[in-house]
Amino acid sequence: MKHFDDELKNALRREEPSADFTARLLARVAQEKEGGREPVKEGWSELASEKQNGAPNWLRKLGVVFTLPQINWVTAGAVAALLIASVIGVNRYRQHQFELQRQTEIAAEAEGQRAKEQVMFAMRIASAKLNVAQKKVKDSLQHDDDQQQAGRQQN
Amino acid sequence: MQRATTLRHSETATESAAANDALSRAKQGDQTAFAELVREHQAMVYSLARNFVRDGAIAEDLAQEVFLHLFRNLAAIETPAHLKFWLRKVTGHRCIDFSRRQKSQGGKVSVSLDEAPEPVSVFDMPDSQPDWMLRSTIRRFVATLPEKPRLVVTLRYQEDLDPMEIAEVLEMPLNTVKSHLRRSLAILKEKVTRSLGSEF
Repeated sequence: MKHFDDELKNALRREEPSADFTARLLARVAQEKEGGREPVKEGWSELASEKQNGAPNWLRKLGVVFTLPQINWVTAGAVAALLIASVIGVNRYRQHQFELQRQTEIAAEAEGQRAKEQVMFAMRIASAKLNVAQKKVKDSLQHDDDQQQAGRQQN
Repeated sequence: MQRATTLRHSETATESAAANDALSRAKQGDQTAFAELVREHQAMVYSLARNFVRDGAIAEDLAQEVFLHLFRNLAAIETPAHLKFWLRKVTGHRCIDFSRRQKSQGGKVSVSLDEAPEPVSVFDMPDSQPDWMLRSTIRRFVATLPEKPRLVVTLRYQEDLDPMEIAEVLEMPLNTVKSHLRRSLAILKEKVTRSLGSEF
């Protein structure tokens, strides 16, 4: 393992950049001094380097979202739009569900009413038939009585 | 945090008065002193980026960004040791930012270890080549590690930092650093052995 550690150290040892590295950098520094700051490329590295301002890490990270250029506003806008769309979507879904439930209830009620009417109708038919039967029985009894009376009179 | 401060200041005693002097002068706007600071640390910053992105030109661009950022934030640097700590930290973050930007733009910064093509065997190279070959192979496989483990390995073996120092630079729990190191070493060793043969 020691051998491999040494090989890793050897492989990853420091190297110098190209010879004009410092000169190019100083030229950029001079340019920045003359023409004002270059636009800062924002990212977490900006935060990491500004440890001095004392604000808690999460607060600084949150701050960056609202203080840095348009890309972050675009993100914030997209998130807000997504939230609004979600709220509207949920609301529409709930309305739809409510409407469905109401229609189901109305249909069930109509079905009940129809069943009740059918029962009433059936009862009316049964009642009419009973009346006919009763009438026939009554007529038949009356006819028997009349015959018996006629027989007695002949005798 | 206290440990970070201790580390940041621990090297102060051994650092030369010249480094302190250069930092003070650079903070007062002396461009020559700033150039001295850059020359002193450019190999460290450039190599951290180079070992991360495995591209000299991109590494130089990243290193330039880091030093420009330093120039804008010189007032916040307390001591030469703090400067070194700051540079390592900002370089690490810049590298990760770069890698994420590349990914979001569809670029491929790293490939998985299994996707990486096997290098030519060491026995196929001339006698003078094995050292170069081994070095190149190791660097190639380091570059295929995921971002954070790659940074951990680079800080450990390029900068010779112990896990505690790496944890502070990368703001990462100590156990995570140890775990990244252990797993990365096992993977690298296995890959290098497989590529270069069991004699390694």
